[in-house]
Amino acid sequence: MTAVIVKALADLRRRRLQAAVIFLTVLLSMSAGTMAVTLMSQTRDPYQAAFDIQKGAHLQVAYKAGTDPQLLSGTPGTIGASASGGPYQVTSIQLKFGDRKFFVDAVGRDNPRGDVEVLNITSGRWPQANDEIALTRSFSELNHISVGDRLKVTSVAQTPLLTVVGQVVDIDEGSSDLSSQRAWVLPAAVTALTSPDSAYYLMDYRFASDPTNAQLQDSINRLRAGLPAGSITGSLNYILIRNIFNITNQILTDVLSAFSVFALAATVAIVATLVTGIVISAYREIGIMKAIGFMPAEVVGVFALQIVIPALAACLVGIPLGTIVSQPLLANSSHALGLSYSPTFSIGLDLVLLAGGVLVVAAAATMPALRAGLLKPIAAIAKASAPRGATGRVLRKSAARAHLSRPLVLGIGDAFARPLRAILTLVTVLLGVATVVVAIGLPRSFELINNSETGAGQYQVVVTRTSGYSDSDVMRVLNAQPETARVVAVAGQNVAVPGVTDPVNTRLFRGDSSRIGYMVIAGRWFSAPGEVLAPAALLRDARLKIGDTFTGVASGQPLQLHVVGEIYDISNLGHSLFMDLATMTSVTPAVEPFQYDVTLAPGADLASYVRRVAATQPDLIDVHASDTSIITPVKIIDLVLLILAAVLALIGVGGVFNTLLLNTRERIRDTATLKALGMSPRQVIAMVAASAALLALVGGLMAMPAGLALHHVLNDVISSSAGNDTPPGAYAVFNPVELVLIPLLGVAVAVVAALIPGRWAARTNVVEVLHAE
Amino acid sequence: MGGRANGRRAWWEDGMSEIVRVSDLTKAYQGGVTGALNGISLAIEAGEFTAIMGPSGSGKSTLLNLIAGLDRPTGGSVTVAGTDLGRLGESGLARFRRDHIGFVFQFFHLLPNLTALENVLIPAQLKSTTSAEAAGRKLLEQLGIKEMADRYPAKLSGGQQQRVAIARALINNPALLLADEPTGALDTASGEQVMSLLAELHRQGQTIVLVTHDAKLATRHAARVVSIVDGRVVDDARLETTERAAADVIRVRSEEMTR
Repeated sequence: MTAVIVKALADLRRRRLQAAVIFLTVLLSMSAGTMAVTLMSQTRDPYQAAFDIQKGAHLQVAYKAGTDPQLLSGTPGTIGASASGGPYQVTSIQLKFGDRKFFVDAVGRDNPRGDVEVLNITSGRWPQANDEIALTRSFSELNHISVGDRLKVTSVAQTPLLTVVGQVVDIDEGSSDLSSQRAWVLPAAVTALTSPDSAYYLMDYRFASDPTNAQLQDSINRLRAGLPAGSITGSLNYILIRNIFNITNQILTDVLSAFSVFALAATVAIVATLVTGIVISAYREIGIMKAIGFMPAEVVGVFALQIVIPALAACLVGIPLGTIVSQPLLANSSHALGLSYSPTFSIGLDLVLLAGGVLVVAAAATMPALRAGLLKPIAAIAKASAPRGATGRVLRKSAARAHLSRPLVLGIGDAFARPLRAILTLVTVLLGVATVVVAIGLPRSFELINNSETGAGQYQVVVTRTSGYSDSDVMRVLNAQPETARVVAVAGQNVAVPGVTDPVNTRLFRGDSSRIGYMVIAGRWFSAPGEVLAPAALLRDARLKIGDTFTGVASGQPLQLHVVGEIYDISNLGHSLFMDLATMTSVTPAVEPFQYDVTLAPGADLASYVRRVAATQPDLIDVHASDTSIITPVKIIDLVLLILAAVLALIGVGGVFNTLLLNTRERIRDTATLKALGMSPRQVIAMVAASAALLALVGGLMAMPAGLALHHVLNDVISSSAGNDTPPGAYAVFNPVELVLIPLLGVAVAVVAALIPGRWAARTNVVEVLHAE
Repeated sequence: MGGRANGRRAWWEDGMSEIVRVSDLTKAYQGGVTGALNGISLAIEAGEFTAIMGPSGSGKSTLLNLIAGLDRPTGGSVTVAGTDLGRLGESGLARFRRDHIGFVFQFFHLLPNLTALENVLIPAQLKSTTSAEAAGRKLLEQLGIKEMADRYPAKLSGGQQQRVAIARALINNPALLLADEPTGALDTASGEQVMSLLAELHRQGQTIVLVTHDAKLATRHAARVVSIVDGRVVDDARLETTERAAADVIRVRSEEMTR
């Protein structure tokens, strides 16, 4: 055994560059894999921990303001809830801070404690006076509002000032970049903050064990049956909130898992290539080892060990590195959930990863090393290393017919001289280029979707009004501006849909809403009252398809709806409806728009327009330029994708580099002969670069369809996790020139990578090499 | 054998007679206590068939490598075909070899994945000579291996491989043909055939420098025998002038063998 270790260590010292290639590729793949596994294993637990600590509500139900609170007090018994909170009086208010305005639902509540929905105060204290308010921490951080700041309530005529006295984490709502937010005041303060039609009651229910979707649906049905028609205006369950919390990490985990498998596959390909190359180049040495008494298994051990040692070192660095890099994401989750963050890792998991990583590399190394173990000593000593016979002839002839210079012809012929090595190299190139394609495509798909959600390029100004300023007043102001080209007014209302637990948030439009950027996936935009569009999740859960007609319930009134299209919309993870305002006013005439998406005429001065309209009514309307920026979770996913693409591209380059290194070393005698015959250093480099270019070109061309297919699949996985089908436009984010340029860029990178072995070959000392024969 | 495959006039046919001049040439390898070459001076005329003889480690192959521009001297100068090799960089040396030198190795050094004809054509293709194939086939025919043109080296005997190597060395019509122990890896009959080929080439005007440790071989075919021992020229005999010279060469060789 000592001899095996001594020989393996000696070989390792001699093959430092190859050891470095193994170290780097294993390091990168293990880091990515560890990140994926760490996120995967930790994602659900923090939410569950926070949900238990803060006694999260399994079900939250909104009741219309006129409902008898006594009746509501009896509802927990109706559905068998083990604990409840409320009824809390809630009112939607508009707050003004500086020149910015926000909408929140102000909940009247005496204290943050209770049997359900315990609010975790992370800063300041609970309100003790009617002019005090507590905000969620995520809302405060997003809008840079601190304890002590004073907010003006502009949705009521008195415009009272409220002082922010506390920041809390509420486990029963999503973070402010993904969901609307609540705020808390004393119950006695609610009345003064309530404007007409903005109030409702909120009840929180908690069950003894986590209920299923069907059980939640049953509970809602029983509540509905026990109360006057139209009492329930909305509801929210813990499954949706948990999904919203986890969606970023879920997508990241999906992406990381896919690409860490890629990275590991590329590593296996490189290891197998490397060991095959080492065995081939060491035939004589193998013969000598056997001749002096090495057993076949010991020969295999020597070759496997010199790969496993750098791989083990890479695992020992890569696993902690992956764990460390995943910590900011986990810390972010803990922060959002109000949990105190402490570095999260599992020694057991890390040991499994370590064992798995080393085993995979060892297996990849042992398979080709077996060849060394099985060689007969005399055959091994006699066998030459460079490929013989007709290898590469077809390629050489094709290249010669293209009138390429001889060095290029020779290099192209050499590229596939070792078919297995070439195939394994193509695998690494394919994975690298395919990942680059995905890393380029997905952010563009995200941007396209973001643009559809934010109306980027379709409307430039968003105006919201409070109930103190009428719809007709807003329209009059907007229509009076010469730059106003189009106004689409938006209202909201919840509609109960058969088969769906929570009432569905419905967006109601007045004006030419077909042109404000929403992506229709199938069917068409509505063109008449009664026509409706919905995302895939709602269609699936309500068992609807385009062409179906169903009866919803809005404000207790039946509403006949005809599905004419499938739309892309991520709000509430695909549970929403889109229809004409007139559809809703036929059963609830009181519904009025509260938001106005304004398209300006070409050349209009946006800032001047916003200032002018805002000045017409500083308190009662909010006017701001449409925010089309990408939300933070998407930015994080884009960044992780970029890093993964860089990692896999680097591994791909490593694969090409490794193959060229093996090829040039094997062909050192041929290169020396060519130099003796007059091949110049530049021609030697060109020969090596031609091999690299061909491998990269073939790998790149194969990678393009693979990358596009992967982009397609990931789009579908991500859209699906947000409750949608992928819009066709999200697939078609590449232009034809890019599809040509990406593999060509891969060729350029491979040629640059070829410079090192190329220069090494060019500097071959002819006399030394040929003398050694 | 017929005439040279490539019929263009060579530079030495324009009146120059001295094709190689080495002056006070030294070469020391790293770690070597003594040099491989210790101040050799030598001139070779165009059209000469010169054999360089010496025991193993005497420096004869080193001298040949320096003349070919494959290695650089520690001291002194090498001028071949009017070019001072010391003034050339790596690319310049490569071009020089391509244009002026044909090299035949002891172990042939054919590229294993190219056919015989492709091997022959390589130097011409490196020089971007476009119409070399006919010349290559003619050379193979002249060397008696025409039918082997499309075979790979592994399918050829040692003698056939060395003929291919000679054809490759001649394809660019070199001023100087250098042969380093060209029969060293061949059986006696094949070795004789190869030496006969070189002699025939010499009769057609080809300048040849042959490195060998076989005194009989050298004296049978070469017109001049330079003996090197410990990196110094110990004898320089022109055999066609006197019978004594051949005997001296044999004597020098015998002395070397007894060292």
